[in-house]
Amino acid sequence: MSHDLLQMHLKAVISCLVIVLYKVHTTKAGQFFSSGHTNNWAVLVCTSRFWFNYRHVANTLSVYRSVKRLGIPDSHIVLMLADDMACNYRNPKPATVFSHKNMELNVYGDDVEVDYRGYEVTVENFLRVLTGRLPPSTPRSKRLLSDDRSNILIYLTGHGGNGFLKFQDSEEISNMELADAFEQMWQKRRYNELLFIIDTCQGASMYERFYSPNLMALASSQVGEDSLSHQPDLGIGVHLMDKYTFYLLEFLEEVHPASQANMNDLFKVCPQSQCVSTPGHRTDLFQRDPGSVLITDFFGSVRKVEITKDTINLTSPVEPPIKRSGSSDIQIESLTYVDQLPVAEIIHQKPKQKDWHPPDGFILGLWTLILLVFFQTYGIKHLKHIF
Amino acid sequence: KTVCDLNLSSVLMNSNLVHRADSFFLATKMAAPLTLLLIVAVTIRAVLFRSSWAELISERVEVVSPLNAWKRVVEGLALLDLGVSPYSGDVFHETPFMIYLFHFVVDYAEIVFMVSPDLVFCLSRFLTSLKQKYALESDRYPADCLELLRSPKEMFYIPLKVAMFYLLNPFTILSCVAKSTCGLNNAIIALFILCTLKGSALLSGILLALATYQSIYPLTLFAPALLFFLQRLYIPVNLRRSSFWFFTLQYAFIYVGSLVVITGLSFFLLGSWDFIPSVYGFIFSVPDLTPNIGLFWYFFAEMFEHFRLFFICVFQINVFFYTIPLSIKLKEHPVFLIFMQIAIISIFKSYPTVGDVALYMAFLPAWSHLYRFLRNIFLVSCVLLACSALFPVLWHLWIYAGSANSNFYYAITLLFNFGQILLVSDYFYAYLRREHHLTHGLYLKKKDGTEATLVLK
Repeated sequence: MSHDLLQMHLKAVISCLVIVLYKVHTTKAGQFFSSGHTNNWAVLVCTSRFWFNYRHVANTLSVYRSVKRLGIPDSHIVLMLADDMACNYRNPKPATVFSHKNMELNVYGDDVEVDYRGYEVTVENFLRVLTGRLPPSTPRSKRLLSDDRSNILIYLTGHGGNGFLKFQDSEEISNMELADAFEQMWQKRRYNELLFIIDTCQGASMYERFYSPNLMALASSQVGEDSLSHQPDLGIGVHLMDKYTFYLLEFLEEVHPASQANMNDLFKVCPQSQCVSTPGHRTDLFQRDPGSVLITDFFGSVRKVEITKDTINLTSPVEPPIKRSGSSDIQIESLTYVDQLPVAEIIHQKPKQKDWHPPDGFILGLWTLILLVFFQTYGIKHLKHIF
Repeated sequence: KTVCDLNLSSVLMNSNLVHRADSFFLATKMAAPLTLLLIVAVTIRAVLFRSSWAELISERVEVVSPLNAWKRVVEGLALLDLGVSPYSGDVFHETPFMIYLFHFVVDYAEIVFMVSPDLVFCLSRFLTSLKQKYALESDRYPADCLELLRSPKEMFYIPLKVAMFYLLNPFTILSCVAKSTCGLNNAIIALFILCTLKGSALLSGILLALATYQSIYPLTLFAPALLFFLQRLYIPVNLRRSSFWFFTLQYAFIYVGSLVVITGLSFFLLGSWDFIPSVYGFIFSVPDLTPNIGLFWYFFAEMFEHFRLFFICVFQINVFFYTIPLSIKLKEHPVFLIFMQIAIISIFKSYPTVGDVALYMAFLPAWSHLYRFLRNIFLVSCVLLACSALFPVLWHLWIYAGSANSNFYYAITLLFNFGQILLVSDYFYAYLRREHHLTHGLYLKKKDGTEATLVLK
């Protein structure tokens, strides 16, 4: 009797545990499957060139590093750098791009894959990458092959102003163009959710025109404020990072693929005491509550693993190809490579080079004139001296 | 005064017949040094033709321009052999007479280039210098100007010096080794000067038409040639005199007539008027902005399109503009005016090369008596030498090493042209000052007897 009671208790405890675990499981599973994305993409753009804009390249490369570390592969990252700082003539430490002074952190590494480099970073190329309207010859590494289940992180840095971002010191993209590009992406279902981070002066102006759903935006400064650079390195001679991205990098270094840090923590990165400018964010177009959005939803590529208990039979035979019938009457003799084309018929014989001769009238006229002038100048009486 | 008179009489003795006999005498006496000079010059050119430097030199942008590059001549003739007009595409910018000339000699190009331009040039310059007459200068010289006049002994070696200045000038040698047709243009201009100084208006007009036909800029040499003939025939340059207009119209008729005849003949060579936009349109509208030692390329490389026409007009007028004031100032000295005009053309033309520079530099020994009045000759020679040395250096730094940019090369271009302009204006000043001294005496005294200084206003 006590044995049965014990068993019943045990069963109850076990079922309770199961229920509890199941609940926990459902909440975690709920979390797992409520974000709705299956793949992650990142588009990281640095828009300035020239050596003194080293910090923008360092910004982009530090976000690249974090994103790669957290699991997004190079095939899913479109990295656009407008200038080459690592191999710049003025770089005293070639093949490196440092983000911390005293060379603490080299964000260049040896596995950086830049997809758009130098003068390829233009407004047109950026918009074409976003909307997918690229010429057919563009290689896969330069395309954003996202679908409607993709979460995309877009990071822009450079010099900007109220309502625009400057590319390559020669052209600009306006906030309206950007908003329209995102709307195109939404219409074509090229994203599930999109996180837009911008680190420029007056960066908040760039997201104030967005009107497509599922967009979340962060900026390093409000309209009317400048984003400031962080540390100069006296050995390299330029400012290495911008303040906002520096503290963003510090924050991201703490994040690992299983971390539960959410967007609210991201909004708190770099308060005014550290950044001097006021970072801003915009979440009104986003469906979910930012507190429930994990950092790794955008910065990492956390794979969804579904555990199944069913077995799948992999040993069913592959069907052999069906033999084509009725093709054996036409016997085509095998041709060697050289004989495949009737070369002699295709290439005409080179026509015999016809040398050009000046027309006879011309020669006649010219020499008559020359003789006339000669006799006019020297007189005919000189003829007898010549002959 | 008597000494002065004696010298004057010796100078006046150089009348036509005596001068001619004198010049033949001088020529025979100088045959040996001249031959030696020719042999040396030909040797240098032959050695350079056979060395590996010939390829290098014919690629240099300072030596060849799109108008006179040998590569383009060969290309044009090849197109012609293929049955295509050589003026199609932007390759060939020579006149049809050049086509006719090179059609036969393209295989023997080196010999042709050695022989004809340089030899013709030097011979004509040689004879030109012999025929320069100083008897036409004014015959009222104050007593103390004797040292300014040139004795025949001084003038004895000038033709040889002129020939040497041309033949052994590195610019000429480079131009010849690069087989640039600039040498032929120079030869035509030299022949024109020879015929002008010999006094044959017909030949001079025809050769001037030929020179203008080759590149348009010798048009400005019409004025000095006209002034020379007027002076020679003792026709005063007075716009109201009918004799002036009569001769001007005659000369202009010869010039324009021969130009028309030459252009017509060129039409008959190829049967089309393609050569006019290709040659003259090219010279005037400067579409090719390859860097050279001139001033056009940098300006027009960075110019907005809607200003281009305006600045083309400004730059081209700049070449022709100096004719009028210079003719007015130098109307009694047409030979010097020719020198000034040639120098101005070489500096301000749209595609100058070092061959054009060598053209007027060869003339410099003829004015060696102005040396004492030249003020900037050291500066000018340093500038020209330094720039000539820096041209290839900065080109290399810009194009190959990538550590300079076009501004460096343009700076040297500017400096080179500045040096040339300073040289020309210095000689102008010296010439005018000598004229002033000839009329007013060498050692000028103020009214109270103290020494006066001459100030250029």
